[in-house]
Amino acid sequence: MSNILYFMMQFITILLIAPLVNGIIGKVKALTQKRRGAPLLQMYFDLYKQCRKSAVVSETSSWIFKAAPYIVFSSAAAAALLVPATTLLAPEGFAGDIILMVYLLALGRFFMTLAGLDTGSTFGGMGSSREAMISSLMEPSILVSVFTLGLVAGTTSVFGIMHAMNRLAVPLAQPVFILIALSILIIIIAETSRIPVDDPATHLELTMVHEAMILEYSGRHLALMELGASIKQLVFITLLVNIFLPLDQFITLTGVAAIAVSLLLYLIKVVFVAVIIAIIEVGTVKFRFFSVPNLAALSFILAFIGFLQYFVLGR
Amino acid sequence: MEGYNEILSVLILLTSFVLMANKRVKSYIRTFRLQSALIALTAGIMGIRSVINEGSYDVLVICIIIVVLKVIYIPNLLHKTFASVEYKVEKDFYFNIPLLILICCGLVVFTYFSISRVAGISEGEINSAVVNSVSLVLIGLFFMICRKKAIGQIVGFLVIENGLFVTAMFSTNGMPFIVDMGIFIDIITAVLIMGIIVFKINDEFDSIDINKLKNLRG
Amino acid sequence: MDLFTAVNLLRCSILLFITSASLALILLKWHKLCNIVSNIICITASIFGISGSLIQLLAGGEKILIAAIKPAIPILSFDIVLDRLSAFFVLGLCVLVLCVSIYSIGYVSHYYGKRNVGLFNFLYSTFILSMFLVMTAGNAVFFFIAWEAMAVLSYYLVVFESEQVEKQRAGTLYIIMTHLGTALLMIAFMMMYSYTGSFDLAGSSAAIPASARNILFLLFLIGFGVKAGVIPVHIWLPYAHPAAPGNVSALMSGIMIKTAVYGLLRFVLVYLGVENTWWGVTILVVGMASAVLGVAYAFVEKNIKKLLAYSSIENIGIIFMGLGIAFIAFSQKNGTIGALALAASLFHTFNHTLFKGGLFLGAGSIHYSTHTINMEQLGGLIKKMPVTAVFMLGGALSISAIVPFNGFASEWLTLQSIFGSILPGNAALNILAILSVAALAIAGALAAATFVKLFGISFLGLGRTEQADHAKEVPAVMNVGTGVLIVLCLILGLFPMLFLKLTDKLVVELAGQSIIGQLKGPFLFAGYLEQATGNAISPFMIFVALIVVILGVLLVLRLVGGKYIERKYGTWDCGFEALNSRMQYTATGFSKPVEIVFRMLFRPSRELKVEGEHLYHPESMDYKVSTEPIFEKYIYAPVLQLVQAVSKKTKYAIQTGSVHRYLMYIFVAVLVLLLYNRIA
Repeated sequence: MSNILYFMMQFITILLIAPLVNGIIGKVKALTQKRRGAPLLQMYFDLYKQCRKSAVVSETSSWIFKAAPYIVFSSAAAAALLVPATTLLAPEGFAGDIILMVYLLALGRFFMTLAGLDTGSTFGGMGSSREAMISSLMEPSILVSVFTLGLVAGTTSVFGIMHAMNRLAVPLAQPVFILIALSILIIIIAETSRIPVDDPATHLELTMVHEAMILEYSGRHLALMELGASIKQLVFITLLVNIFLPLDQFITLTGVAAIAVSLLLYLIKVVFVAVIIAIIEVGTVKFRFFSVPNLAALSFILAFIGFLQYFVLGR
Repeated sequence: MEGYNEILSVLILLTSFVLMANKRVKSYIRTFRLQSALIALTAGIMGIRSVINEGSYDVLVICIIIVVLKVIYIPNLLHKTFASVEYKVEKDFYFNIPLLILICCGLVVFTYFSISRVAGISEGEINSAVVNSVSLVLIGLFFMICRKKAIGQIVGFLVIENGLFVTAMFSTNGMPFIVDMGIFIDIITAVLIMGIIVFKINDEFDSIDINKLKNLRG
Repeated sequence: MDLFTAVNLLRCSILLFITSASLALILLKWHKLCNIVSNIICITASIFGISGSLIQLLAGGEKILIAAIKPAIPILSFDIVLDRLSAFFVLGLCVLVLCVSIYSIGYVSHYYGKRNVGLFNFLYSTFILSMFLVMTAGNAVFFFIAWEAMAVLSYYLVVFESEQVEKQRAGTLYIIMTHLGTALLMIAFMMMYSYTGSFDLAGSSAAIPASARNILFLLFLIGFGVKAGVIPVHIWLPYAHPAAPGNVSALMSGIMIKTAVYGLLRFVLVYLGVENTWWGVTILVVGMASAVLGVAYAFVEKNIKKLLAYSSIENIGIIFMGLGIAFIAFSQKNGTIGALALAASLFHTFNHTLFKGGLFLGAGSIHYSTHTINMEQLGGLIKKMPVTAVFMLGGALSISAIVPFNGFASEWLTLQSIFGSILPGNAALNILAILSVAALAIAGALAAATFVKLFGISFLGLGRTEQADHAKEVPAVMNVGTGVLIVLCLILGLFPMLFLKLTDKLVVELAGQSIIGQLKGPFLFAGYLEQATGNAISPFMIFVALIVVILGVLLVLRLVGGKYIERKYGTWDCGFEALNSRMQYTATGFSKPVEIVFRMLFRPSRELKVEGEHLYHPESMDYKVSTEPIFEKYIYAPVLQLVQAVSKKTKYAIQTGSVHRYLMYIFVAVLVLLLYNRIA
């Protein structure tokens, strides 16, 4: 019973916070550019409006096009269920496998790339093709970092890893974790279509990847796609903060107060990472598309050296 | 009667020397017929002994088959084949005959030298009949090498087979009946096919000198 | 009544396959009747085979003797023996044959009146029988005979449409490569006999000294590797599998290449026993290379069947990686990890049989209705062939290891076994293990991209040619064949424990340990460590969660957004108003970025021909991209050239054409042998 309750809470928390992260990143970017920027809650308004609009569907497309948004959204949401927002609340034996999480996100990506091809539009194909390349290059570093974390904790359960991290005082004091954290940061940027890999704010065919795939979407389908993307982003951020900034062990409260405090703590950590991502977006320019492999290689090398540090040199 | 196989094996070996010394195709066939007759005689003696000792008629049957096949049928067939191809006087060998016979002697010595160690055949003392018959195989092969005309190859092939047969007979009193039968059928087919090929070669090159087959290579 | 024992069922199965082959020849004249009768008998035979092997896997004893034929030659015995390892592979074979035979009832119909259907069905049935015997031979010589029969029969099936020159070439390459492997196997069997004095597979290998074991391992690895199509001896596979008719390529890719996995397990693991760590390391490295390179070549391929063939190389690579990890673990006396890796490897073997069989059948369906398997000429098939499309999508999801299909379950197990194999202390092995994780990751991601490309380009969007526009759904019976395989993929993906329970006794027999005890819950998977309960995942629960989320979303959208209103409109064309199928992304374009990133693997070259005055307003443009076949060009071609050069020089020195010279060779050889006999 507590499992189901926990899942409900987890689901709602992430669903509610995900669009906010986009808002924060947008706001920070605007402020650094001396603009006022859109309101923090702009994405919520957008989503609401998109839900109420009718959908335009291409004549060329098939049922894949209409099914994809639901599958993309549900895969991101299911991945979110596996990554506890607060380790304090997650019940013992919480079944969330980190490899499963990676593969669940692949389900969403599979259908998103298919949907890009479904309309017969050149943009869609272009986006899918680029996404296929980026994801293939990023996959090794994702799994290697995830594996290293799992090995440190002795389990591939997300909860187990976070729990093990909670037992360490300051994880980022160890070289292995600095390297892995940097690697995961690069992965977040690539996987969530941020500058310097992709630019979410433009619709220029030379640059767009994620936007190109969902170019034909409108109405509620678009809302689901965008919400799905932001949930995916939040899942990665949650992974990052709860593994490398575990602060839950300092909370000694119990009951409702504990829930409130830990959620607040979680929110603060997420905002912190969102600001970092925004600063990176502001501070860099978009890479040439064929420079992305360099970034992927960097991320892989970081994760690999992290593994070496801990498992080969460290012992 | 005990030493009969030694004597016969030496005689058979001698026929192969005679074969080597022959100059004419017709005499090859005649010598081959003589050799086969000697083998048939050996098989006959051995067959009668096995009828008396063990009551088995296998070797005797084989003796009859040898007479029919190797003494009568195959030599006749070869005669016929040879008669029907155009006759040309050609030198049939690469080296002169005394040298060939000396090499044959060398082969016998070599066989003696090498066979003396084969396990299961000699068992300490060397069975000279076996050495003689193995030399027969080598001489048959050598005969094929040193003759140019196709009929010579056939006779050489038949001598090899004779050698194998007497080897088996002297060392283990003959191979199993079914194996011998198989080999005989094999030989008939081989001789028939080779006979046809001789015609073909003759048609193509106006000669049965197989050295001319070199012209066929690509 | 004990009529339905495994022995009787399997005897029936074998007899029925023989019946099918002979009836196919008897009914040669009546194409339709012959095809239907022969396939129905094959279906029945495979049902017998499935039940027999299931009984043996679940309840059987050590091994059963199906038939013992004693020929006159003393060292030979044609024993047909079924132990659990054989039963597992026979199960895979029979499941695939069941579906492929159902499919063939429809598929072969396009040969009626045009080709010799009786001969085709005869070859088909005997090919299946030969694989059956390979898996159940109890004697190395019998195994060898069946192995060779399998190679020759599959060769005839590859060149069945022999009027096409490229199919002849594919067949020739195949038969040459496969005999290379066969030759090595023959040497290996001779060595086996010379040390142990027996060809019996159940015999002991204790008499073989350590150095000979190493040589034997290498012989087995290369010999079976050729059949499995591992890199670098894979070059025949991308040509031979596409050249065969659709149903045969499903059999070849689905199960024939698995006989190599069977061979490695039977001869290396069971017969020799793994003692050296470097054996496992070699298999692991070969597996990694095959997985990554196989899928990389698959990704840039435009021909659907060639793409699937390259993807078979990838999957064999993943199977070999599992085997490698298992062998390393066995040599380190780490039975738990060995059992887990072995189970993963067996699981992937079975899964690959299912989904690759399904995908090849789907490709056959595409060819059946469009007469092409070039993706650049397809498109929009999802509307013309909706059922085929669904099954192809299912196959694509399975092979891309997408949750909740079976590919995910076996890849997850493989990853878990690698995870478990990383233990403190052995630095070199650990680095290798983490590299294999990276290899598996990139292979998995590229596989997903590959199958997005396959499905997206050929089934989605607009039709690129008239053939694609006029495609029709294939006969229902063909879809049944494909469908059963894909549904099995989904079932095994949702309930992977079914499979693990099925093979538990086999794993215990091979690895000495059960992994079931380490897995928790009714449908749960769990990790390797007894204490790490958190590693448990349940694909079924994940599936339920996905469904629940989707239903919830539908409900919320209904509440918030009201009724769903949809407008149909053309795809956005930038106001150009002339969007046509030629403006779609092509298969070549789709894989171009990866091709550029990994250009050292492909060595792409482009050629642009422009006619007319201006570069930007030309009269016509001709753009050509091509990739180089690296292995053929840089490994095989130099060797071939060397051989040719040497043989040209020595041709007239050795092969003079003189009969006397040849006789002399024989004579000298005999003399040397006699001399050797004397001296030795």
